Amino acid sequence: MPAPYEIFVLVKQVPDQGSKAGLNPDGTIDRARAKRMLNPFDRYALQAALNVKKTYGGRVTAISMGPPPAVEVLLETLEHGVDRGVLLSDKRLAASDTLATAYALYKTIIWAGHYDVIFCGLQTTDGDTAQVGPQLAERLGLPQITYCQDFRIAADQVYADRIIEGGYQKIISQMPLLITVANSYHRLEYKSFHGSWKVQQLLRNTEEQNKYIQSVDLDVIGADEQRCGLKGSPTIVAATEKVGEIGGNCSMHEGHSAEELVGEVVQSTNLQEFLAI
Amino acid sequence: MTEEDKTANPVRGEVLIVAEQILGELQHITLELLGAGTYLAGKLGSKLSCIVLGHSLGDIPQKLVACGADTVYVADHPELNTYRTLPYRRVVCNLLDSMDTPAHICLLGSTTTGRDLAPRIAAHFETGLTADCTELDIGSYEHKSKLDPTKVGLYEGCLYAIRPAFGESLKARILGPWKNPQMATTRPGQMTPLKPDPNRPGRIISIPVNIMTEDNRLIIAETLREIGKGVKLQEADVIVSGGYGLGSKDAFQLMYNLAACFANSAVGATRKVVDQSWIPYEHQIGQTGKTVRPKVYIACGISGAIQHRVGMANSGLIIAINKDVDAAIFKFAHHGIVGDVFQVVPEMIRQLEAVKQEKEVQTVVSAH
Repeated sequence: MPAPYEIFVLVKQVPDQGSKAGLNPDGTIDRARAKRMLNPFDRYALQAALNVKKTYGGRVTAISMGPPPAVEVLLETLEHGVDRGVLLSDKRLAASDTLATAYALYKTIIWAGHYDVIFCGLQTTDGDTAQVGPQLAERLGLPQITYCQDFRIAADQVYADRIIEGGYQKIISQMPLLITVANSYHRLEYKSFHGSWKVQQLLRNTEEQNKYIQSVDLDVIGADEQRCGLKGSPTIVAATEKVGEIGGNCSMHEGHSAEELVGEVVQSTNLQEFLAI
Repeated sequence: MTEEDKTANPVRGEVLIVAEQILGELQHITLELLGAGTYLAGKLGSKLSCIVLGHSLGDIPQKLVACGADTVYVADHPELNTYRTLPYRRVVCNLLDSMDTPAHICLLGSTTTGRDLAPRIAAHFETGLTADCTELDIGSYEHKSKLDPTKVGLYEGCLYAIRPAFGESLKARILGPWKNPQMATTRPGQMTPLKPDPNRPGRIISIPVNIMTEDNRLIIAETLREIGKGVKLQEADVIVSGGYGLGSKDAFQLMYNLAACFANSAVGATRKVVDQSWIPYEHQIGQTGKTVRPKVYIACGISGAIQHRVGMANSGLIIAINKDVDAAIFKFAHHGIVGDVFQVVPEMIRQLEAVKQEKEVQTVVSAH
């Protein structure tokens, strides 16, 4: 009988880029108007956390940092079978870059208690940096496995496959550790009936919801506000420039035989320059 | 910091590149970084250095000098043979700590190694790091916003880290002049290497390796590479990509056959077909896969959803093949062929083969 594990998973609410809502003409996103969703990469991290619980036993805690509506993604993780959520929300976190974000999450994790393994998505769709996971591991002094596409646990050791360019590595790590989960990991399973029912109950009862989702701010977790938000961020976005408007002038080739259609394209483009000769 | 401090210090720290080798094979991204680093160091008037970690590195240090490094730091140790986060982090941080003048800039590739290591170094030094840059430059910056008074001032010699943002629709210039080293990772295939010059002078310095017990909490049991089979999507000139419209896993053979017509090509895919297990994840292009910018992108049976588009919209020439004339991909492709992939692609292969044979004949004739 293996020891039950304390499993943490980090999730983020991001704007849904597939939806046009909240998309400004200059290409930036108005987060207040945008449709919100669970970061797609986090779905794999969530499944990894639930798999550990299912296979080896334990408790899953989902942790998120964001404005108050981010509670929606924590409720979503509860529907999938997560046991508790922690939401770090504080106006002083505005304009945090990855370093400041990793610091705030580090303090939240210490506050949340003992853990054996922390799962993160590979990256987020709104930042695309893939930096917060490793920066967090550095703060916590943990070994890390990024680009993890599968793993198992035996005798408190993690045996993992990590993707590298043109292949993969077989890794053995002690616990505790931090893992960022690749998209080639198992897909997120459907919400559980029990989880969905529970969340329906919680939505009707704030007091009960607070038992499952703890809301914290910088004071509760004991974070130094100088290291958070704008002040704690060593980088700034100095300028943005719109990349040339895409498309609108596609030369269409249709209505002839495949031979003619292909002929038109092969003759009117520079395709021939790249041939293997 | 006083006004005098900011301007009176002409001695700038070096530009440091962290080299990448896998199983003793120097990775192309390192040569690209040396090319970019040469430009940055030239503009700053500082030196370009490079650290390489591994065991029995052969002529790699000499190659790094030939490709632009003024100084190569060599960390040679059996335990550094294969990349591991903690030992590599230890050695690179020790080197940066030991410099008399702190390094001004530190660059890595945005590869599985660079994206694993760079954030650890940046967090250790509490310095800024910009991921996945497509351009780098040096310039001045005046910070006027008084929201954080400690940051106000005019800064010279700042690293401009330029990267796509918001699904490639914007380019953002990101700076962090307040703390050195200023760090960035660059996307493979974006920077241009120098032509190697074996007569370039440069110093090769062996540096100490002090790996601690705690660095060995994680070990690599095995590194498996399919040599020659690696999917180098970000370095390919031509990408042939397949979508759900292909209908089956077997149809991907057609993508490989078309890709084989080109000298430097790779096969890509949409998320939907990766989810169907028709092709492995490493081929996936788009929001949750890779972002590519090849010279030619041939999209076969791909509808052109935004999630795919953000990963390939900046390709030089986009040719789309789809039987649905209303497919979204025709809104941003350069050439659209409305037709059945199973007729159009074999025909394209046939015509390209014909062009190839013609060119080969010409080459033979001119050689005589």
